[in-house]
Amino acid sequence: MRRYVIVWLGLLAIVGLEVILTLAHLPPGVLLAGLLALALIEAALGLLFFMHLRYERRSFALSLILAVVITVVLMDHIWLDAFRLLHQRLTKP
Amino acid sequence: MAESTLVVREPSPFGVTSRKLGIWMFIVADAVTFAAVLFAYGYMRIANPDWTRPFTFWPTIVNGIGMTIVLLSSSLTMIGAVLAAQAGRKAATLRWLGATMLLGALFAALHLREWIAMIGEGWRPFRNPLGGTPLVGATFFTTTGLHLVHVVVGVVVIGFIALGLRRGRFDPGHLEATGLYWHFVDLVWMFVFPLIYLMNVR
Repeated sequence: MRRYVIVWLGLLAIVGLEVILTLAHLPPGVLLAGLLALALIEAALGLLFFMHLRYERRSFALSLILAVVITVVLMDHIWLDAFRLLHQRLTKP
Repeated sequence: MAESTLVVREPSPFGVTSRKLGIWMFIVADAVTFAAVLFAYGYMRIANPDWTRPFTFWPTIVNGIGMTIVLLSSSLTMIGAVLAAQAGRKAATLRWLGATMLLGALFAALHLREWIAMIGEGWRPFRNPLGGTPLVGATFFTTTGLHLVHVVVGVVVIGFIALGLRRGRFDPGHLEATGLYWHFVDLVWMFVFPLIYLMNVR
């Protein structure tokens, strides 16, 4: 149980860091990058320890993670259209 | 040739039980669902220059920090329940599960309190009282609502599993699978809180 309490404390510390970053009023892009990086660290800790992927076969963990990562990467084509909408505002009729 | 000989059966893939493999398949599908919802939020936010940031540090972010601590703590109590069940300590397992359910219910109560306050201010999925795009409310209520449904379902399932364990109908494997779901719900919040709340502080 001690190991899990340490992970739990680590996760709480990361949440605290996220709040501090937010209060620092960073530019939105920098804040987003920082928050996403911290969220990914939290997700990794949760998957490895709380969800026990650390103790499963590596092939099992890789199969699961790759399935999600590939899908998320394939979804990324939408950003081009979002930026198109941002920069090519239609004129009012 | 008998039909059954046409099917090649192998031992369990990856050395896990069918139950565990099944819940992991569900988690992968659900993770992609949440990813799509968060991508939709990102798309709408970038494409709308008049996006409104609705939250202030007090009370919304403070409430969100409280919700996050409660949910993270519920993951720890779920770990306690799984470890106790694997050690054959039934009474301790039920106590840990009771604590997990209480924390899950507290998270839902804090969330609903926040929703009620926002609705009182005029926020709707189709209306923005601050005058910007109504998509702010649409993405907020959709994303947090989907997560809240997962929490409520989780609390109910944990209660069901606790009853089954008490009566001897379920074993620690059932609880481990339920625990994986509960930790996943916690993990999703690790993305919802920074992206939906912290990125929208005024």
